Amino acid sequence: MILLYDGSFEGFLSLVYEVYYEKLQVSTIVKKMPGSLLFERFHEVFTDEAKARKVLEGITKQFTKEQQRTIFNIFLCDTREHEMALLEYLRIGFKNPKELRNINNAHLFYIQNLEKELLCLVHKMYGFTRFEELDDGTLYAKIETKFNIVPFLGDHFAKRLGKIPFIIHDVKRSLAFVKNDELREIRSIASFDAPTYSSDEEKFKALWKSFFKAAAVESRYNPKLQQNWVPLLYRTYMSEFHA
Amino acid sequence: MKLTIEDKLSLLAGSAKYDVSCSSSGSENNYKTGELGCTHNSGICHSFTSDGRCVSLLKVLLTNVCIYDCAYCINRVSNDTPRTAFTPRELAELTINFYKRNYIEGLFLSSGIIKNEDHTMSLLLQTLRILRHEYRFNGYIHVKLIPGASKELIEEATLLAHRVSSNIELPSSKSLALLAPDKTKEKLLSPLKHARDITMERSSKPISMSTQMIIGATSESDFEILKLSSSLYQKALLKRVYYSAYIAVNNHKHLPVPELSKPPLLREHRLYQADWLLRFYGFSYDEILSENQNLDIQFDPKTFWALSNLHLFPIDVNRAPQEILVRIPGIGIRGALKILQARRFKQLSFEDLVKLKISLKKARYFIIAGKDFHRSTSLYEEKIKLALIHQGSNIIQPTLFDTSIYTGEL
Repeated sequence: MILLYDGSFEGFLSLVYEVYYEKLQVSTIVKKMPGSLLFERFHEVFTDEAKARKVLEGITKQFTKEQQRTIFNIFLCDTREHEMALLEYLRIGFKNPKELRNINNAHLFYIQNLEKELLCLVHKMYGFTRFEELDDGTLYAKIETKFNIVPFLGDHFAKRLGKIPFIIHDVKRSLAFVKNDELREIRSIASFDAPTYSSDEEKFKALWKSFFKAAAVESRYNPKLQQNWVPLLYRTYMSEFHA
Repeated sequence: MKLTIEDKLSLLAGSAKYDVSCSSSGSENNYKTGELGCTHNSGICHSFTSDGRCVSLLKVLLTNVCIYDCAYCINRVSNDTPRTAFTPRELAELTINFYKRNYIEGLFLSSGIIKNEDHTMSLLLQTLRILRHEYRFNGYIHVKLIPGASKELIEEATLLAHRVSSNIELPSSKSLALLAPDKTKEKLLSPLKHARDITMERSSKPISMSTQMIIGATSESDFEILKLSSSLYQKALLKRVYYSAYIAVNNHKHLPVPELSKPPLLREHRLYQADWLLRFYGFSYDEILSENQNLDIQFDPKTFWALSNLHLFPIDVNRAPQEILVRIPGIGIRGALKILQARRFKQLSFEDLVKLKISLKKARYFIIAGKDFHRSTSLYEEKIKLALIHQGSNIIQPTLFDTSIYTGEL
């Protein structure tokens, strides 16, 4: 049976509830109605707060802190086939928690690697995120990433930037982490006006570029190695890679 | 003519680039609410230059003026190059603005010797004071100790910086006398000893220190180099040794002819691999190499060691403890951990190892997994060598510069 849900975490928890209590045999989980339905049965799950809460309580009881983190982390891998693996993870955990550590199980190994991939991306973006200073002193960063890592980046930079207000804007997901004196939250951004930059911004960008150029040793020139470390995908907002 | 800040930055970053230390890993996270900057235990690379090296720190000299005349150095007094200097304040502001934009993880500050050792060290400390006290900056700072600077100044440096270091440059006194007449091994090691002793009086842990050695400018063997590194690690003088393939920037009668010499990158890479074995895999230098030997170019040091110690193989991956598993060529710490995790549930076969994405390219000649044993090549050194070479998997390009970002290791 194909299950359709709205892509939210609450939606997914509601889905888990229905799978359990209505004993559904799931073949695929989708966020969008497929174009053509051949011979398979199809069921739409509506997000239901009470159902979601119930499943969440079950998770908090049955899974260790670390495993709960894994569940949330995997859910952030939103561009990858993750729902079926996560459903299997929950099924195993509710049945036999010890089995969750068995990486010989293909689902669990997949989950372990997917989480590693997410954390690896997070780590890269800790370094590759670039802020620009706006005229009111706010630091503003645009990102486009494979997974939804705004929550990680928000926490990381909140620690680093002290009292300086900042915004991390996930352009593709229309999300932003906003932090200033009054608030610290993730919100969805429907539209965003082009900001005005501080008068120093261009100067420091230029300085950074000249530093970046001067720091390379010519006789070790190796652009292929450079590209292994910083694939083109990451370079969109990194000024040192722009002419 | 007055140089702009951009010109200064180009010159002083250009002169600092031969210092290969880039890692900012290994410092405890030191977050303080409301203050600017904190460090990250595994270190963070913020970019990679066109030579493929990681940029995580604003790596610059305070000045490229120098009264010394070291043959291999671009800034030696007898070179006719443009000279300049940052003021401590300029440098501090640059650091803060780069940090805010997340260009860098912190500052790596070195310097030529201007006027004298103590004067130079004071200027470096002045920069650090502005950063730490005025800006309340908690980001990572690595400062070079100036050999010959007084003990009080070194003590202050250990209080302000996360890491201090002093480059040994050449692996023996003889070579130093030949190429760096103003330096002796004692003079280079003494600031490290001071820093170690001062910080150990304060707490049981010495401050983390690193050094750099130039490889291939002089005639020392890899055995001598690794022996030196190993003793520096043991005496807690260093947490990390960097090896830098000699790059010709000057002509000098005691140096290799620049036209003929390319930086020995593969040798440098092998030294890093061997150094890794010393620090994380429990090898001792005399297991890796015998007296006056150089590292093998064709095989990585672990494979080379295994081929010379075939009596210890094959190793049963279902039984061996972690410290033995990591000695199998092709299996690293992560591979070993995966094996330990998986074998609690079942007896592992070759197929299981493949499913766990453990590379068997090299390992299969050295292991037993359940009933599986690689029979097509019997355990004779020459045959395994041939099999490994035939695979074409044995020549590794010198790509590793600092993999600590992925492993979280220092």
